[in-house]
Amino acid sequence: SLVIRGEKDEHAVLCSKNKTYDMKIADTSNMLLFVPGCKTPEELNADPSSCNIIHSQIAGFAKNYWELRRCRPKLKKLRKLLMEDPYEGPDSRKDQTSTFSKYTTEDLLSLIQASEEEILHQLQVIDACKIEGYWRILDFDYEMKLLNHVTQLIDSESWPLSKVPLCACLEELGSLEPREMIEHILLSYGRKYVDDAGEVFFEMREDKICRAIAQMLLQNAVKFNLSEFEEVWQQSVPEGMTTRLDQLQGLALVDKSSRPETIFLLKVEDLPEDNQERFNSLFGIREKWTEVDITPYIQDLCAEKQTVGALLTKYARSSMLNGVKVYNSRRPTS
Amino acid sequence: LSHSGGTGALAQWVLVELQGEVEPRQSRDLAGSLLGDLHYTCEGIPVLIVGHHILYGKVVQLEKPFAVLVKQGGAPQPSPPGPHGHYTVTALIKTKLLFKTRPKPIITHVPKKV
Repeated sequence: SLVIRGEKDEHAVLCSKNKTYDMKIADTSNMLLFVPGCKTPEELNADPSSCNIIHSQIAGFAKNYWELRRCRPKLKKLRKLLMEDPYEGPDSRKDQTSTFSKYTTEDLLSLIQASEEEILHQLQVIDACKIEGYWRILDFDYEMKLLNHVTQLIDSESWPLSKVPLCACLEELGSLEPREMIEHILLSYGRKYVDDAGEVFFEMREDKICRAIAQMLLQNAVKFNLSEFEEVWQQSVPEGMTTRLDQLQGLALVDKSSRPETIFLLKVEDLPEDNQERFNSLFGIREKWTEVDITPYIQDLCAEKQTVGALLTKYARSSMLNGVKVYNSRRPTS
Repeated sequence: LSHSGGTGALAQWVLVELQGEVEPRQSRDLAGSLLGDLHYTCEGIPVLIVGHHILYGKVVQLEKPFAVLVKQGGAPQPSPPGPHGHYTVTALIKTKLLFKTRPKPIITHVPKKV
């Protein structure tokens, strides 16, 4: 079955099990009459006995109807709701207070304008976990604390990054943090697999770990000297991991026009969800963008078969700058 | 939204689309009044006779079929989050009879020119 979702201040959407559709009212100046049981010429020809008068009733009429158009699920709100009360660990006093800003799956299904599958998938993408029946997002500092426990243990045990044993982690770290949290951080930052002996291991995800550490460093200042940052960053990641700027797509932006070059935090998830608002926001941050720089910040706006190029054509104007194609706002600059 | 009933396939209705308005004569209600007669020619062209007008139309297979929804229930007061208010899919419409040509008056007696 299908569900219409939305709060009073939102535009209604219709959701199937795994898709979301915008609902619009379409008006017509014609009259639309509904006739149950009305036969088409083919149906009458097939039934030779129906040459008598058939009395049919018009069930009703309408001058407008609802139109559905497939759309991106509106998932920004999911993150916003879960960020109302991030999980700071079992020692945090906050959790003992009310369950006010905590959401179960049922709560989310009635508040988020997306299909169930899209919502559950997004919960996985943002590394949410269920604690006492409620979906929670980890407070970033707590998340880094957990990650640090794991990376320190990997280092002290000299485990290969591609073969981190679950059992040993739970044993060694179980006294410091809840076992569910240790397993959660391994699932978030590693790929789970089982070896021939049936033991569970994790292949640690280098890109994701480097990216998280970069965020930890960048969130403490407005911007950083790029070369200084790159040095500190490489020194901060676990032994055996290599940092690369492309790991920071959608997280940070390099300013190549400043001397010296700088880097600052810019998270795509903090930007508006609506297409036009997103572009306005991006052009407010920087007047001209290359396609390479802007792509990570508009990729998520693409509809089912839409390309980044199509979005740029629609929402931006292109020009050449020093032999490079750049995009700027279509609106007149104030 | 959900299926209505459990017995077999969903009802198939037909849409009749008319340009302009339909007005009942002699200020009667639309409900219960006769609209007109629908015929099909040998070639399958629908012909609608409304009052003393005749309209020719065509059978159109809808590119995007319609679903007819009937609202049921729905809480009048604000209630806790969760679906309240229910639409049932009563019928599907895949075909329409589109009448968009000008209605022609049916003249039964044409006086001969003198």
